[in-house]
Amino acid sequence: MTLLRVEGVSIQFGGVQAIQDLDFVINPGTIHSIIGPNGAGKTTLLNMITGIYAPSTGAIYLDDVPITGRRPHDLARLGLARTFQNLQIMRTMTALDNVMVGRHLHLNRNLLSCLLRLPSVTRGDRQARKRCVELMESVGLGGYIDAEAGAMPYGALKRLEIARALAAEPKLLLLDEPAAGLNATETKEIDEVIVKVARSGVTVVLVEHDMKLVMGISDHILVLDYGRKLAEGTPEAVRANPAVVAAYLGAVG
Amino acid sequence: MAHNVRPSGYSKFAKKQTYTRRMGTKKNRAQMLLSERGGGLSLLILVILVLPLFLANNYHYDVVVNIGINAIVVVGLNLLIGHAGQISLGHAGFFGLGAYVSAVLTARYGVHGLVALPVGALGVGILAYAIARPVLRLSGHYLAMATLGVGLIIHIVISREAWLTGGPDGMYVPPLEVMGVAVYGGPVWYWIVAGALILAVWLSLNVIDSPVGRALRGLNGSEVAAQAAGVDTTRYKVMVFVLSAVMAAVAGSLAAHFSEFVSPTKASFLQSILFVTMVVLGGMASTFGAVLGAVMLTLLPQVLADFADYEQVILGLIMMAVMIALPKGLVPTLTALVKRWVRRAGS
Amino acid sequence: MPPAFVEFLQFLLSGITSGAIYALVGLGFALIYNASHVINFAQGEFVMLGGMLTWALMSAGLDLPLAIGAAVALTVLAGLALEKLAIEPARDADVVTLIIITIGAGIFLRGVVSVTLGKDFHPLPSFSGDDPISVLGATIMPQSLWVLGVSALVVIALQLFFRYTLLGKSILATSYNRDAARLMGVNVGFVLLLSFGLSAMLGAMAGILIAPITATNFEVGIILGLKGFAAAILGGLGNGLGAIVGGLLLGIIESLGAGYISSDYKDAMAFVVILGVLFFMPSGLFGRRRTERV
Repeated sequence: MTLLRVEGVSIQFGGVQAIQDLDFVINPGTIHSIIGPNGAGKTTLLNMITGIYAPSTGAIYLDDVPITGRRPHDLARLGLARTFQNLQIMRTMTALDNVMVGRHLHLNRNLLSCLLRLPSVTRGDRQARKRCVELMESVGLGGYIDAEAGAMPYGALKRLEIARALAAEPKLLLLDEPAAGLNATETKEIDEVIVKVARSGVTVVLVEHDMKLVMGISDHILVLDYGRKLAEGTPEAVRANPAVVAAYLGAVG
Repeated sequence: MAHNVRPSGYSKFAKKQTYTRRMGTKKNRAQMLLSERGGGLSLLILVILVLPLFLANNYHYDVVVNIGINAIVVVGLNLLIGHAGQISLGHAGFFGLGAYVSAVLTARYGVHGLVALPVGALGVGILAYAIARPVLRLSGHYLAMATLGVGLIIHIVISREAWLTGGPDGMYVPPLEVMGVAVYGGPVWYWIVAGALILAVWLSLNVIDSPVGRALRGLNGSEVAAQAAGVDTTRYKVMVFVLSAVMAAVAGSLAAHFSEFVSPTKASFLQSILFVTMVVLGGMASTFGAVLGAVMLTLLPQVLADFADYEQVILGLIMMAVMIALPKGLVPTLTALVKRWVRRAGS
Repeated sequence: MPPAFVEFLQFLLSGITSGAIYALVGLGFALIYNASHVINFAQGEFVMLGGMLTWALMSAGLDLPLAIGAAVALTVLAGLALEKLAIEPARDADVVTLIIITIGAGIFLRGVVSVTLGKDFHPLPSFSGDDPISVLGATIMPQSLWVLGVSALVVIALQLFFRYTLLGKSILATSYNRDAARLMGVNVGFVLLLSFGLSAMLGAMAGILIAPITATNFEVGIILGLKGFAAAILGGLGNGLGAIVGGLLLGIIESLGAGYISSDYKDAMAFVVILGVLFFMPSGLFGRRRTERV
């Protein structure tokens, strides 16, 4: 039983082949890392899985249901959630309201109910607020509940994105370079958060360009290079793979 | 894949102490009074109850009722511009259309005013829905152009189809009748419009503090992030566009019956601009800012009337000066000041 | 020539004439937008100022050429003042706030002109007489030739300016990437000022060229400004060539629409067309498609 299956997926942008004929599967309950040098096509792949780009060819399945080319908000309904490499924070809203937006699909969002402020709306909001505060505390944002998001430091915003994604109670959480720009201590804390999330039963796809960061926490690693699969397997297998060492670790130095 | 540069002065513990947790603790009384739902609505009702004591003549009532009518439009427009971040330079078109549907149906076809009003609202709602989907795919200045175009076309049609609308000269509108009694005169209309305004403000505050309101602000803050969270952003943009257009149409119907006259200036480009300016002047995303903006920009021409020919000169200067000095608008700037003061006094 | 063709040609010629004016105004929008990402809703007032000031200076006894020169210079001053006094102090404001500032400036300029120069319509004399010239059976007024000729010259001059002068290149550089331009030593503040001056010049020239045909008063800028904006959007905002093509297209469509469909709806044609185009091409005819990196 696989959670996500990618079959023969390719995409090109004006002659540039960003992803070429890629196949892989993701099993439920694992931390699955996608790594590769800058420009390998990792974010492009994530954008295809989450519906921002439609692949030129190939198909993607979630729980064996084809999801190729479906729009992002539909995919959210099916249990996909993600964070963004270039932060996508609603800067004028409070941190808690950012996370509450992540809760959107679980709330009464009927316009008439909201206009009249029916009890179901207020009750739902109250419960959601409680759950979102818990989530923020679990990612270490307990001190920022009412902070305006735009005024928060960079490291906290990285966690805020994770909390917002978790608020949707996703089956599959895709994290795009959650540790980029963080120092060693902060990276370690983010790693702990990711492991905690995975233990709670959410399948995690982790995109990173620094291989060392993912070795310790990943169950499975996919290595991309120039839009193709370079290697795949357990961290040990990938580390021992000569192609990876040559093309990737060697280049990084 | 560019890395984000970390802002300077970064410290992960720096802000932790300054924010207190709200969950489980009672809200500070000052905070309550500053909140829109708590203090704002009570203050509005209080002002509305007390204001008639200061209204001496028909002219006063006339001005105040027009303020209320404009405020209803602007409270709706604020949901679109202030919360969802979608500009419209054509809302006077919907306002005018609401006014003309009421005018034409009651004056020419003998339809009851209380039937014409919802018909106008529904008609404008359907029209707004039809144009919203293609128009709201546009962003920024393209959206400004498209909504401006929609407003101008409505204005031109109203001006040209004189057989139906009376053309540029406008047309007479019979007074509203309720149970066979004609409703006219400042004081009666004062309470009608006051009730409608309080309702509009209440509905608007409800939406703002609901999953729909957060979805609107969310798509304004980051459209991709909102989509990834499951918000069908197109649907919400269309929804708030239609809602604001319907509110404008209802206000238009009220305006037509109140002044017992309509003319195409109600649907003009300049009127659209005035509505938008009211939103921005009062403060984007602030419901009471919208009301205050309507108060100021409706009063201003009355005050400036004494300056006769210089009215436009002064209006233009004031618009520029306020926007340069307070780019965030009146209410957000003032509440920020008061909040800072309260915090300082409290610590 | 068959009468139907002559009629068509007549509509076409008058459409191209007003289209050239829209193109000049649209270029003004594009120039300022490129340098600052501001849509200057006071652009139409530059058009009005050009015509009204020329009329006023001529009434004061100046010759037409001198009056034109002085009116253009004064309008450019107004453009510079607008940038310096109203746009620059609000640099960091939202788009909507900036739009309202320029609209306020427009209302202010209209007010000043109506107070000082009155509210009447004033025609300017044609530059070289009113004897119609026959073209394949249709007629064209000498003033229309002035409109077309001067517009073409202005477009060529701008092209040369952007291609061969350092100043022109620094405006282009700023429009592509303001930060990079600043790092390369471009004085971005000066470029903004210059773009307002240049578009005021374009607007004033458009207003002066058209005034002998349609007459001028303090309110002509409103509709000409909106049509210029429509031209700039139709072509794709920030694309100079697009603004010219957009302007000409609008003029022609409007003239043919008024001739064959309904002259009552002449002013509506332009906006119906632009809505139609935007529905299918959300970035105009030649606009760059914007993709967001996430």
